[in-house]
Amino acid sequence: MNQRRGQFTGVVCANIPLCREHFKLVMEVRGFPPTKAGQFVQLLCRSTRDLDYVERELEWPSPQRPEVENVDLIAPTALLRRPFSLAGATTDGETATIEVIHRVVGVGTDWLVQLRTGDEVGILGPLGNTFSHPVENQIAILVGGGVGIPPMLYLASELVGKKVIAFCGATTRDLLSLTVTADARTPGIDSIEPLYNIQEFAAHGIPAVISTDDGSYGFRGFVTQSLQEYLDRFRIRGEMAVIYTCGPEVMMKRVADLARARQIPCQVAVERAMACGMGTCQSCCIRVKKPDASAVPLPGQDWCYRLACTDGPVFAGEELLW
Amino acid sequence: MIDLSVHLAGLKLANPTMTCSGTCGYAFEYGDFMDLSQLGAFVTKSVTREERPGNPPARIVETRGGMLNAIGLANVGLKRFLDEKVPQLEKMPCPIVVNVAGHSYDDYVETVAAMNPIACVGSVELNVSCPNVKDGLTFGTNPGRLKELVHEVKKVLPAKPLMVKLSPNVDDVAVTARAAIEGGADVLTLVNTFTAMSIDIHRRRPRLANVTGGLSGPAIKPIAIHMVSRVYRQVAKAAGVPIVGMGGVQTWQDAAEFILAGASAVAIGTALFVDPAAPNKICEGLGEWVSKQGAEKLSDLVGTVQMPGD
Ligand SMILES: Cc1cc2nc3c(=O)[nH]c(=O)nc-3n(C[C@H](O)[C@H](O)[C@H](O)COP(=O)(O)OP(=O)(O)OC[C@H]3O[C@@H](n4cnc5c(N)ncnc54)[C@H](O)[C@@H]3O)c2cc1C
Ligand SMILES: Cc1cc2nc3c(=O)[nH]c(=O)nc-3n(C[C@H](O)[C@H](O)[C@H](O)COP(=O)(O)O)c2cc1C
Ligand code: FES
Repeated sequence: MNQRRGQFTGVVCANIPLCREHFKLVMEVRGFPPTKAGQFVQLLCRSTRDLDYVERELEWPSPQRPEVENVDLIAPTALLRRPFSLAGATTDGETATIEVIHRVVGVGTDWLVQLRTGDEVGILGPLGNTFSHPVENQIAILVGGGVGIPPMLYLASELVGKKVIAFCGATTRDLLSLTVTADARTPGIDSIEPLYNIQEFAAHGIPAVISTDDGSYGFRGFVTQSLQEYLDRFRIRGEMAVIYTCGPEVMMKRVADLARARQIPCQVAVERAMACGMGTCQSCCIRVKKPDASAVPLPGQDWCYRLACTDGPVFAGEELLW
Repeated sequence: MIDLSVHLAGLKLANPTMTCSGTCGYAFEYGDFMDLSQLGAFVTKSVTREERPGNPPARIVETRGGMLNAIGLANVGLKRFLDEKVPQLEKMPCPIVVNVAGHSYDDYVETVAAMNPIACVGSVELNVSCPNVKDGLTFGTNPGRLKELVHEVKKVLPAKPLMVKLSPNVDDVAVTARAAIEGGADVLTLVNTFTAMSIDIHRRRPRLANVTGGLSGPAIKPIAIHMVSRVYRQVAKAAGVPIVGMGGVQTWQDAAEFILAGASAVAIGTALFVDPAAPNKICEGLGEWVSKQGAEKLSDLVGTVQMPGD
């Protein structure tokens, strides 16, 4: 088994719509090294043939004009790669099957949507650090919002047999990228009772609390509200639990605050605009507290920048200043 | 066997592919993704005398065919560079160029002087696209100031060739090129990024926290080609000063264009983010191109574009 990260070509096995704007892209990648939850990949959101540019080489005079696809001149395509969290991965001998869940928001993700079974995707990775698992008897609380749900699914698959509960939120039911099992009880609009009604979590024996901002499914309100109620009702504090979170920045900030107020350790997977994904361009900086020897504080400040791509994407909630 | 080797004023490269400062880290960051031993030369992130945290995010934004960056020279500073990065650079399997930036003459002189005795450093590249803290004027856009800076720096770098990286944000790049050569530049590298801006039309705000940033990537290639061609014909060729061409190089075809325009070597920046193995592929492609051109050495093709009236 290859242990080194690198540049790979994935072959699409499936690209399934999950809900409005969300797709699950499953790819087989030969030689892809083992991965862990929290890590991400940089996907080339355009043809891998672009990288070799053979189609640009016009050999004149030649009896036959080679086929030219003037992609770059006509269509706006994603120049840089796009980062996506791994939503799951399995390996079978030399071949890994990796999953990402993507939401269509622009040119890059729009290109991903067109992918069919058998198509090729350029992959760079695996990149970034990983979540650290809960210690014995610690309750793992997984909090995912929107496109922050995928890394929580991967983490859930690693925590089978542990004490785990998931909190997931979406603005509305249409945008909830999770599978509600047909025969499951429908959660009440103000209920935070964890149910085995979400297939992705139930498959690992994990109950979930779903919230939608408009109450179109599950708890009405933000995922942070259902989380807060839960933490308060069961008096969860300190090292008895560990919170993992990924999602919109406002949500993650609130989750980190809730955790900090209760001294609950919190691991946050952040998102930043990225160019390289491997610590060369310095574009993905995020503010953290407590400068150590490896980072300089701004003059008169007690904070410094870290790189989301290599120091993260997972950071301790208490050190993040965003 | 095609000879792709390049001589840059005493610095010997096995092939003409280099990396662009700021797009490849300090040493082994791309080690898993490209064959570093196949690089003509590796150019480090700009090093300044003091460690710099850089600008607040957002520091980059993609634009059509390119990207803007306003990293703000985030770097580890001279002390940590010497302590932490040089031991790494000593293990690199290719020639090393250290890029130096500064905000005063003293900044540059002190940092460059520190590079002079380091054996693994093959050359120093001066990033002169920074504003002087004293008056906010960029070193690289004023010919008089540039000449003086290069002259001062050259004195403390007797052991190695000095590369000067020209800013494209000038009226006539041939004028600053001449100033750099008069100051004592051994090699000219061009171009750095173009000052540019992008606006979020929904929120009616600049997309970069710094408001402006430097444009790089394929979008700038035709302008970079023109600048290399102009500098080559107006100044560098006659002065015998080699040029390293950069700006939007993604493929060997792009590299070949720079060579024809007058570059002896090419550097790859933004394209590394997309395909870190690009320099290796470019090197291979150039070899075939040279032989198809009926040449034996890549260096025979430098600046050989046929202009009307030649
Ligand atoms: C570590 C990491 C993990 C990620 N994981 C996932 C994931 O699992 N699933 C998923 O759908 N998305 C994920 N993202 C976000 C994803 O990278 C962006 O949605 C994608 O880059 C958009 O590309 P585009 O070309 O479609 O959109 P663009 O045309 O580039 O942009 C469209 C809109 O999206 C916004 N946008 C662009 N990049 C980002 C970004 N990095 N974060 C937030 N907003 C952005 C832009 O500001 C713009 O408003 C992740 C980002 C990071 C940094
Ligand atoms: C993210 C980023 C950071 C850069 N940082 C530096 C730098 O520190 N010093 C420097 O001289 N040039 C820097 N540059 C400019 C590049 O070295 C190069 O001149 C420019 O990007 C044009 O080449 P390209 O189109 O191949 O990227 C940077 C460019 C980018 C995109
Ligand atoms: S994305 Fe380039 S340093 Fe993090």
